[in-house]
Order: sequence, then C-alpha cells, then structure tokens
Amino acid sequence: MLEVKELTVCYDTAMLLNEVSMEVHRGELVSLIGPNGAGKTTLMRTISGLVLWEKQMKRGTRAGNITITGEVYFQGRRIDQLPPHQIARMGLVLCPERRRPFSELTVEENLGAGAYLVRHRRRYQDTLELVYRTFPVLKKRSRQISATLSGGEQQMLAIGRALMTRPLLLCIDEPSTGLSPLIKQELFARIKEINESGITMLLVEQDVNLTLAMSTRSYILSHSKIVARGDRNELLADETIRRSYLGL
Amino acid sequence: MLANILVTTLVNAAAYAMLAVGFSLIFGVGRIINLAHTAYYMLAGFSIYTLVATAGCPAAPAVLLTIALITVIAVLCYKLLIDPMREHETTVLIITIALALVFQELMLKYFGGQFRSVPSLARGFFVILGVQVTRQHALTCMVLVLILGAVWLLLQKTRLGLAIRATAQDKEVANLMGMDVSRIAAITAAISAALAATAGALVAPLNILEPHMWLHPLTIILAIVVLGGLGSIKGSILGAVIIALSESLVIFLLPQGSFLKGAFSLLIMIIVLLIRPEGLFGVALEGER
Amino acid sequence: MIRDMMGRIYRNFKGEILVLPGRTLALLVGLAIFIAPLLTRDIYILRIITLTSIFAVFAASWDLLSGFVGQLNLGHALFFGVAAYTSAMLNLYLKLPPLLTIPLGAIAAVAAGLAIGIPCLRLKGQYLSLATLAFPIILKGVVYIFKQYTGGELGVSGISRLAGSRLAECYIALLLGVSLCLLIWKITDSKLGLIFHAIREDEIAARASGINTTAYKLLAFCLSGLFAGIAGGFYAHYMRLAGPSMLDVMLSFQAIIWTIFGGIATVYGAVTGVVILFPLMEVMRAFPEIRMLFFAVTIVIVLRFMPEGVAPWFLDRVEKECPRCKERNAFTRRNCRVCRTLLIAGKEVSAGTEGQTGHPTD
Repeated sequence: MLEVKELTVCYDTAMLLNEVSMEVHRGELVSLIGPNGAGKTTLMRTISGLVLWEKQMKRGTRAGNITITGEVYFQGRRIDQLPPHQIARMGLVLCPERRRPFSELTVEENLGAGAYLVRHRRRYQDTLELVYRTFPVLKKRSRQISATLSGGEQQMLAIGRALMTRPLLLCIDEPSTGLSPLIKQELFARIKEINESGITMLLVEQDVNLTLAMSTRSYILSHSKIVARGDRNELLADETIRRSYLGL
Repeated sequence: MLANILVTTLVNAAAYAMLAVGFSLIFGVGRIINLAHTAYYMLAGFSIYTLVATAGCPAAPAVLLTIALITVIAVLCYKLLIDPMREHETTVLIITIALALVFQELMLKYFGGQFRSVPSLARGFFVILGVQVTRQHALTCMVLVLILGAVWLLLQKTRLGLAIRATAQDKEVANLMGMDVSRIAAITAAISAALAATAGALVAPLNILEPHMWLHPLTIILAIVVLGGLGSIKGSILGAVIIALSESLVIFLLPQGSFLKGAFSLLIMIIVLLIRPEGLFGVALEGER
Repeated sequence: MIRDMMGRIYRNFKGEILVLPGRTLALLVGLAIFIAPLLTRDIYILRIITLTSIFAVFAASWDLLSGFVGQLNLGHALFFGVAAYTSAMLNLYLKLPPLLTIPLGAIAAVAAGLAIGIPCLRLKGQYLSLATLAFPIILKGVVYIFKQYTGGELGVSGISRLAGSRLAECYIALLLGVSLCLLIWKITDSKLGLIFHAIREDEIAARASGINTTAYKLLAFCLSGLFAGIAGGFYAHYMRLAGPSMLDVMLSFQAIIWTIFGGIATVYGAVTGVVILFPLMEVMRAFPEIRMLFFAVTIVIVLRFMPEGVAPWFLDRVEKECPRCKERNAFTRRNCRVCRTLLIAGKEVSAGTEGQTGHPTD
C-alpha cells in the first residue's frame, strides 16, 4: 500500500534521512522505532508531504534549502511530488506529533475540521458516531474548547480528527508522549482496535515493549538509516539489536 | 444632536468593525499584517465616486461593481505580491505599505488632493422614535450590520468558515486534514478585501473623500484589532464599538479636538494592553512555539 | 610603534576589506561621499549628504532594535521626535548650545525608550509592534494640545544652527553618521549582539540559558532610542525646526522601508537602503507628480525579487560563504581564503542539485 524507496532528505547540509526504504501492506500495523533524532518524525512528515510543503513555503530562505530525493508510492501512485492536502485526499493521513488540536475550536469543531473532505451529511454523521464510539470521552466533551482537554483527551481528539478524514492509511506520530502508563495502555488498545476495524497503520513510538507487542512488523530507524526490520520475534532474536536499540 | 451622535457612532462602529474583521481574518489565516487594508477602503470610495458622480450609475449596481472591482484588485495583489513573500514577515509589511502608497498616489494623480464628496445614494429621512435620521445613514447602518451578521454565520456555520478558522490555528494540521491552505488563504484575502470595499462603498458617501483617507482608519483599525485580540472576530467587533464610541465622545466633548481622536483611541488601546497583554479576546501565545 | 600600528591597519585593510567585494565597494562609495562636498560645494548636494548621514543613523538604530532583537518597532519616529523637540525647546527657551542640546535630546529619547519599554515589554510579537505604533501618534496629540510651547502644527522654529557653514555641518554629519553606524555595527557584532540575536531567535531558550531577556530588551530599546535620538536632535538643529512631521507615522515607516529595502538585521543593509533611497527621492523632487508613486513602485518591485533586501542580494552574488568555516569569500575564489575548502561543492548544494548531498570533504 505504501512504498518508500531510497528516500533521502537534507535540511541545508544536515542529512536527516539516508536512503530509507520501507513498505506498509494493507491491514498491517507497522511501527517505526528509534532513538530521539533518528529521523522518525522527518520520515512521517516527508511521506505526508509536509516537508515538500515546507520547502516550497520557505523557498528563497536558508531554512528552505531542503533536498528530497527518492520515491514514495501510495496505492501504486507516486506521491512524493504532491502537496499534503492531495495526499490526505488520497487517504494517507498523518496525525502529527504533539497532538496539535485546533486549540481555540471546540472538540466537535475539531472533528468537523477533520471531516473537511467528507461532504456527505450522512457519512459525516456515521464517522462522527464511529469516533465517539471509539473515544466516548470526546462525546462528553464535545462542546468544550479543545485547549482545555487533558493530554490524553487531546491525543484521542487528534486521532479522532484524523479518523474523521476516513483514512486508508493512518500515520500516528508519537501518540504516547507525556501520557500516564494507564492512559497509554488504554490508548494503545484503541489504536489496535482501529487497526482491526480495517484501517492500515503506521505508528511511530518510543515505548518499545508495548509497540512491538501489538504491531505486525517494525522498522528500527537510527542515525537517519533503517538499521533493522522484522516482526517482534525476529527483532528480539538479534542480541545486538536488542541491546543497542531496544534497551531490553 | 445626541441622536445624531448616536447614529454617527453606530455607522462608524459598523464600518470600523467591517474593516477590523477583514483585517483580522487575513491576519489570522495568513499571519499577514496588511497595511494596505484601508487603502482598499479608500479605493472603493473613489470607485463609487467615479461611478455615481461621473458616470451617473445608479446606487445599487455601483456598489456591487465597486466591491467586485476592489476584490479582484486585492486578490491580484495578494497572489502576485504578498503570497510569494509570506516567509519574509517584515518584507510583507513594507510591501503592503508601499501598495497603499501606490494606490494613494494613483488616486492623487487622477483625482487630485482636493476634498470631494459623493452625492448621497439614498435621499430622504426616516423618523425613528421621534428622531430624524437620514435615510442614507439608516440604510448604511442596516446593511453593514447585516453583512457583519452574514460573515459571522459564514465563519461559524459553514464548511468554509470552519476551514478558515482551522487554518488560522494551525496551517500544517489543516493541510494534513486535506484543506488546500493556499486556496483558503486566497479566499480569505478576497473576503477581507470585499469587506473593506463594502465599508468603503457604503461609508464614503457619508464622509469626505481624499487620497490620504486611508491612514487614519488604518491606525484606528490597528488599535481595534490589538484591543480586541489579534485574529479574534468577536474582539474586532467589540473593539470597533469601543473605539467608535470614544471617538464620538472626544469630538462631542472637545469640539475643536477632532485631531485628538486618533491619539485618544490609541491611548485606550495602550491602557487595555497594559491590563490584558493579549487584548480582550486574544489568546496568550504559548511562548510562540 | 607607529610603524607597527600602520602595519596592522594595512594588514586589516588588505585581509578584511580588499578581499571582499562588498566591503571594497562600501569603502569606495564612502570615500566618494567624503570627497564629494569638497568638489562641488553645491548647497543642494551638501544637504543630501548631510540628511543621508542623519537618516542612516536613524535607520540603523531601528535595525538594532527591530532587526537584531526582533522587537518590531512601528513607532520609531517617537525617539526621533522626542529628541528633536527636546533639543529644539532647550535651545530656544534655555539658550543651550547644540553641543549640549543634542546629547540632552538623546537622553530624553532614551528616557522615552524606557518609558515605553517598561510597559510594552509585557507584550509579545505583533502586539508589541502595534502598541509601539501608537506612541508617536499619542505624543503628536500632546504636541497639539500644548500649542503655546510646541508651536502646534508649525513646530518649534528659529533654533540655532549647528555650525558656521553648510560644509562644516555636512562634515560633522558625515563623521557622526559613519562613526555611529560603525558603533552600531560593532554592537551587533559583539557579545551583546549575540545575546540580542538569541532573544530574537528563541526568547524562551535564551531565558532558559540564564539571560535576563527583559533587561536586555530594555537595553535594546534604550540603545536604539539613544542613536535615533542623536539623529533626531541633529536633524532639528540642521533644519532649525522641530515639527509634528517628526512624529509622523510615515517617518516611522520610512525607517522600516529603508532598512528592509537594504536588508534587515545587517546594519549595513539599513545604511545601504538610506544611501540608495534617500538621494534618489531627493533627485525625484524634480518630478513631484510621480515622486511618491515611483518610490512605492520601486520598493514593491525590488522587494518582490529581492525579498531579503538589496545588500544581502548583492552580497550573495559577489561573495559566497564557505560551507565549513562560514567565512565569506569573493565569488572569484575556488577555495576558501581561510580554510582552503573547495567552494564549488558548497555552491551546488545551495542550488539544490538533486542527488548531491554536498558534505564538503577536503
């Protein structure tokens, strides 16, 4: 479904991704693990088109000196030259790092903004129902300004908002940052549920144990490169990987 | 006398609110401080003047034609000059000042610096609660309030309005949700200019027309949007009412003090800012991150 | 010892100025301006040179506060006007000589910087800009209220001249302009400048590193006020007038236009902007009909294609930065003049050639 081929991204003279190749198949829950600064977020932002957008926005300034090489395919179509909103329209949606709700909008307006692409009233209602069923707390808070939600609720809102776009492939960047262990487990259960309902997922995470346990396959990204790939058992079987990257 | 002041205040408040709302909208979505905003207002005034006084066009089509014309000019300026520069925040500032100057000079060249007045678009009086109000004032006020209401509905109740508000909050996420941010910004620029043009077309016949007439409203609009909280529509409207009222009071209480009205409005703005640094309805910036 | 010093100056001259086309050009233009008054004695040209020097200081002082510290000040005319009025009134009513009134005026401008800085530094970003816009307009209102002292619309006139002849005035202005602009440039190049830069880039990080950002921002307001104040007092004595136009919104905008036209946050950009635009506009007085239109259109077109300003645009063409040691080099060089790194590779990166990651290897 998603195929990344030798993707290299440089900001000015710093190389943030070095010939990264990976793929995600329909129905999978693929996770991307790695230390801070490995390039996980950059990879997500490149796939969703944000890096290209940033490059075009800042054209002519030093910060806009970004080079992207390599190819990204989504459902057989090449997407690395497309702007983010068209990629979203095709069904590849990123739920960004640090949740980033539209903070002055209410919960329901946030979800409505997520449903920008859904023009049918009926479909909108159905999706809203679905999101409320997955995250009942959002229904309780629907009239509340989203800045006033707790961290966990904001994360649920961010995922709910991304779900409102009716994605085929949902990318979630570090959903568990700053959440208590209890809420984290709850959230991961929901993520698993969403995946089982038929939405393919690409998940970036720091919590190795929980993530490995629930994902179909994982990639380990370190120093801008993919250093290992495989399912849980394969990764755990390798002693060096276990010690250097998984900390187990 | 008092009734007249009240009506003038009301008209001024509505006109200021239109200008301030437009300014706020494009500031919110594009982070653009558009100092040429009131120049569109001035242009609209001259357009109405030309159409009505020179070409003898009837009032309603003249107003519509003016709005369309100014909006097209503004969108062209936005697309060609402002949008490509957006990353250079200070450069945008200068370009908008320069644009306003270009418009001012063009008008000076074609119409000269003398004061002109537009023949009123509607004649006659209404009598409301025993007070005589010119039909022109009453109509202007009504139309302005109606349009403000429509803008409010557009922003609160429609898909486009939601997209505009979402884009103003976080462009990147808006993009990720499938919104074409640059198109939404262009639409916002058009709405913003159309509001300024409407204010200009409707209010110009009540005031005196001259090419420098953009500078005073500009400082007033800046005071209003800062006072109300940058980017806040509610704040812009409330700010407009406060400033229009204070202006009227200054003129009423100090008959020869009309040159003080700008200073006084700005003083109110400073006082509000000292008490609430983010304006009445602004949201405290979380360390700009 | 003198030989030693001369040697050092010569080496600096050769090693820091002649190697860079931008600096060589600046030196040549500077020399030309210095020699010009001796050649013509034309009052009109003397006037242009004098005013250019004064406004160069004014623009550079705006750049110090707004470009380097990032506190976008839309009401810079406040400093200029306060100093001009203070100097003029001290001279007129207390009969103080310009040598005293100009420093006193500058001190008044510093006080004005403190007076608006202390309340306004609670404000952030655009709120600060728009609040600063208000002060000169409010002060203008005050000037109109106290008509009997300030002369209202006519201003304070009849104050004493700066020096005996126009030529002397011109040279005083030139010397003052050059030394103050160099001083501002040195400030931005010092540790203080580094702190200012840090505050602009990330105020929270700067505060977290133990920098009292509020104090430094206040310092920036005062410094900027000081330089703008000197320019203002000087201007008042040169024109022998202090009027409400010195508090005008357009004067504040002028400083911004000059600086951004030349290149913001560079100081030399502010000076370049004034040196190009001010004389140009004086020459254009011959065509009053299209003068302002020409001005505005020039700015729009130039900035449309050189959004960073004229000076950085020009320097990017004639100089290139070494990707390794960040020293600047003339465009003709193949190797960096300091670390010998090949410069061609660095150029390819900035051109965005695909497939080249461009890490310079020796």
